[in-house]
Amino acid sequence: MTEPILTAHNLFKAFPGVRALNGVNLTLLPGTIHALLGENGAGKSTLIKILTGLYQADSGELVLAGRPFDFKSPHEATVAGIGVVHQERNLVPNFSVAENITLQDPPRSFGVVNKRIQRELAQQALDTLGVELDLSDKVTDLSVAQMQLVEIAKALVIESKVLLLDEPTASITEVEAEKLFDVCRRLAAHGTAVIFVSHKLEEVFELCDVVTVLRDGVSVLESAKLSEFTMDQIVDFMVGRQFAHRIVSKRDIDRSGTPALRLSGISTSIGHRDVSFDVYRGEVVGLYGLVGAGRSELARALLGLHPIISGQLELNGKAIRIKHVRDAVHKHGIGYVTENRKDEGLFLDFDVRTNIAVTIWQKIAKRFGRISVVDEDRIASKYVERLSIKVSSTEQLAGQLSGGNQQKVSLARWLAAETRILFIDEPTVGIDVRTKAAFHDLILELADQGLAIVLISSDLPEVVALADRIVVVHGYRTLETIENDKDYPTMSKRIMTRIQSMTKAA
Amino acid sequence: MTSLQSQTPKLRNSRRYLLNRLLLNQRFALGLLIVLLFVGFGIATPAFFNGEFVVFPLLRDTATFTVVGLAQLCALSIGHMNLAVGRMAAVSAMTAGFTYEKFHFGLIPGVIVGLATGAAVGAFAGWLIVKSRVNSFVVTLSLDFALLGLVTLVYISFTDAAAFTTKPAGMDTIRNGSLGDYCIGNLCGPSLIPLLAIPSVVALVIVWWIFSKTKLGRELLATGANLRAAQLSGVPTERRIVTAHMMSGLLAGLGGLMLAMTSGSFSAAVGSEFMLPSFLGPILGGTILAGGSVAVFGTMLGTMLTLLIRQGLSVRGIGLETLNIALGSVLLLALSTERLRTFIAVHRKKGVE
Amino acid sequence: MMRDLIPGRFAFGKTNLTLPTILIIGYVILAADSGGTLLSKQALRGILAYLAVPIIIGLAQMVVLAIGQMNLAIGAMGGATCALMATLMADHQIPVALALIIGLTFATLLGVINGILVVITQLNGFIITLGTMTILLGVQYRLVRSFTVDKYSSALQEFGQQNIAGVPYLFIIAIAVAAVLSLYFAKTASGRNLLATGGNAVAARLSGISNVRSIIKAHLISGILVGVASGLSIASLSGINRSIGGDWLLPSFAAPIIGGVLLSGGTVAIFGTVMAAGVVRLVDVARAQYSLDPSWVNFVLGIIVLSTVALSEWRKRRAEENRITVRA
Repeated sequence: MTEPILTAHNLFKAFPGVRALNGVNLTLLPGTIHALLGENGAGKSTLIKILTGLYQADSGELVLAGRPFDFKSPHEATVAGIGVVHQERNLVPNFSVAENITLQDPPRSFGVVNKRIQRELAQQALDTLGVELDLSDKVTDLSVAQMQLVEIAKALVIESKVLLLDEPTASITEVEAEKLFDVCRRLAAHGTAVIFVSHKLEEVFELCDVVTVLRDGVSVLESAKLSEFTMDQIVDFMVGRQFAHRIVSKRDIDRSGTPALRLSGISTSIGHRDVSFDVYRGEVVGLYGLVGAGRSELARALLGLHPIISGQLELNGKAIRIKHVRDAVHKHGIGYVTENRKDEGLFLDFDVRTNIAVTIWQKIAKRFGRISVVDEDRIASKYVERLSIKVSSTEQLAGQLSGGNQQKVSLARWLAAETRILFIDEPTVGIDVRTKAAFHDLILELADQGLAIVLISSDLPEVVALADRIVVVHGYRTLETIENDKDYPTMSKRIMTRIQSMTKAA
Repeated sequence: MTSLQSQTPKLRNSRRYLLNRLLLNQRFALGLLIVLLFVGFGIATPAFFNGEFVVFPLLRDTATFTVVGLAQLCALSIGHMNLAVGRMAAVSAMTAGFTYEKFHFGLIPGVIVGLATGAAVGAFAGWLIVKSRVNSFVVTLSLDFALLGLVTLVYISFTDAAAFTTKPAGMDTIRNGSLGDYCIGNLCGPSLIPLLAIPSVVALVIVWWIFSKTKLGRELLATGANLRAAQLSGVPTERRIVTAHMMSGLLAGLGGLMLAMTSGSFSAAVGSEFMLPSFLGPILGGTILAGGSVAVFGTMLGTMLTLLIRQGLSVRGIGLETLNIALGSVLLLALSTERLRTFIAVHRKKGVE
Repeated sequence: MMRDLIPGRFAFGKTNLTLPTILIIGYVILAADSGGTLLSKQALRGILAYLAVPIIIGLAQMVVLAIGQMNLAIGAMGGATCALMATLMADHQIPVALALIIGLTFATLLGVINGILVVITQLNGFIITLGTMTILLGVQYRLVRSFTVDKYSSALQEFGQQNIAGVPYLFIIAIAVAAVLSLYFAKTASGRNLLATGGNAVAARLSGISNVRSIIKAHLISGILVGVASGLSIASLSGINRSIGGDWLLPSFAAPIIGGVLLSGGTVAIFGTVMAAGVVRLVDVARAQYSLDPSWVNFVLGIIVLSTVALSEWRKRRAEENRITVRA
């Protein structure tokens, strides 16, 4: 019986207003490839951050190679033997492949780097992984897939006992993914334990031996042998029955007139090709896809941030071109509730009033551009009340609010602007279940009032609960638009199958 | 402080609540410091209270350097810096002087030309920053050197003594005049307040009004606070960046013109001492380097404090070098405490995930 | 492979060949125009001797640019150090060698202080060095007042005039320093760590590299180099007064930028900086030859730097767009 290389027992982690981990267990054996699955908000990213030293658990035990650990920083985790390949690259751009691989502890004598040994070590790591790369290439010249392989080689050189791969196939081709799997198998053969985090179940079944599924902060399936389950069963574990409470009836959408927004064959400068769908007044259209599918990027392009190079955009039947964000917002009534509300959505140091009024300054400005605070406050207060935002006054700083209230402030901004077509991007990430439900009701209410809503979400239950039609997006293309019958089992299966059929290696 | 944020977080249940609020209020603290220093210097050296030779020039310099501080404030509002304030001032003075000398323009038309030039150069800097996507300090520093060369060359080509010496009618009045020269009936204005205070006060009020009461000001501060969020909310950020730098250039030009009038000549030396005061005024006054929050009247107080220190030291016979050492240290001190104050403010925030 | 997709591989400022070519062509033109006087041994010696300081101060700024910051105080640091050394030798009869060592230590210390302040305040080096620059200008004035200290050491000043095979010792020292710096950044772990911080501070931190240490190192090295430049200055000038160092700032940042140092940090270009210092010097020689006002140098250099800066971003963006089109 092999000793586990890493165990987590009864982990708890809470943030103000949200319980991210509610008792998570994990047992990792060396030489295995362990899938970590879970929908958005299930606690996966929190668990990853604890394992890699970014967060500390509130309670519970963590043991690595027989010794308990409580990493205070990512560096401590790395030194202890937990390597990680994040979703964003962490390489030094102008350094060579060899140098990046040995960055942690370059071979040296008297301070001078021994380039020969450096190359040998790097080459050894690449050989173990079965990867061919030119050691002198600068990493900026490599593709994303190759950069990932460099990061894996890096982990190997410092003799990581555990390697965590976070959504590694999000931005690489199927062929490159196959290569990646090959490398993972070699790593496992070498004795490293690999934690593979991914939404693509087809890949998971192809590659992994063991699986742990998180749902609502709990490990509902713990370190089980993957071969004993079918994909459907795994999906059930991920999704659970909780949404049964949220049986929402189909809504009656009047599609007799012209759609509020129609995209026909849109291609953008950032890689979208032939994107087509439409949304009617009062309708909620869900854009569902995996991480890296290109949905948020599409919204940004439509908002005017990236050029649209071909195809047609129609607003209420009229063809339009959007060159600047201000045109989209003020002239065409398009709004966008961003994904990362803290980085891109809110002005954390400004008060709620300003955060809401920013989109209407244009409208309420009088002669010489003068703006009356009374006017701003009137409008801001109106929406604070309408959306039941819990603030002590409109002068409270946005940064002091809870996640749910912050999200409402983001939303209020667009309602104040009398937006007609609203893109909402991953609205309930990191928000607790109760607030999430309330937010969903809010979105439906807004749709009932006549808003055309495009919901971008990787949370399939959320999409099925809210959307009237679902557009499946993959690889910067729209695959198909499906009418939503609101029956979760059938819809989720249909959508997942459609996507998985695209992720199978060509 | 003119900003879109609430004042300091409320200190509940504090016995000395009122006093704490007052002390934490930067303007009050600055004002208090100024009064204390003024009195202190005066007690140490009674000659300090001399109206004509000390107080009047002090107020006149405050007027000029406040405008210079406002120029930098405009760049700081969007989180940028304008290292070319000195040269933009020089270019404005140069064009005005040129019109006076070669075309015999009147005082006001020349001023308008000068201001327009400053604004144009500022706008150019803003445009270059937007298009090249390079840091504002690299762009404006390079521009500063290019302009320095340009200005000197123009002076050398068009004049004998590297300065335009034609004084338009009215310039002497502005230079030496005070409110005491203007009377309604028997009531005359205070003779200590220089005429040059007028453009300075006008500039202060306009800048304050823009940042606190208009759409433009709000959009500038939003751009500085969070560029991405502003962009995604429909604020035309690229245009606003150009506008901020244009305002900066215009105010730098005004400062240059005021200095030229005070010193009596238009030369390449105008603005050569503007860089440090342009930062000291706003920073001491409470403007944040990262952008999104400006302190307009604080800039005047910060400038006044700086000049008071300078004047106080020079009256005591302490030389230029100690002054430099003192001011440099004041800047570093102000910068260090700024981080501390931001740290405290952030630490008090609740409910952030 | 990716490299082939990036256009303008041999464009201005990027490769090693462009600047030397410009230098040679420029020198040839000037030499021809001067009727051959520029080719004389004396002229050449003069050019090379006065190239030493711009090279070193260009390198001093380059090191700080490599971590994404800027040292505005280079001139003031140099001026204050020169003033210190000169007054020590002239007024206090300190022997040359000791004075030089004290000067070097002083400048290094100033660099360390800059670095520490940057780390403590977490603000960019630019605004911090604005403060230290002001302080140092005061210090410089305090040391030399309105005087010119000129009789500090005839031995040193003589050394400044000497040469071997027509190449001034000062120039050789400068090149030697550049060579050592080059080795430092190419071969030592310490130097590579510094560049890692500048290239990607997050990746560096995750690999155990201390970004704090890198920042202080960069400012420290900048200080050492300023110290060297001060030593070279004091050997080549006839007197030290309060304006020494006042014209160091522009050449110090023009050289690395024209020399190809990326403004985003993480790279050094020693050969490029040296060549660019040569170009800067060439502009100065041209100015003297055609009897143009010194302001032409400021103007021309300012324009060149602005253009380089504008072009570099444009080319970087073209490369990015190419990479994206490849994906689809």
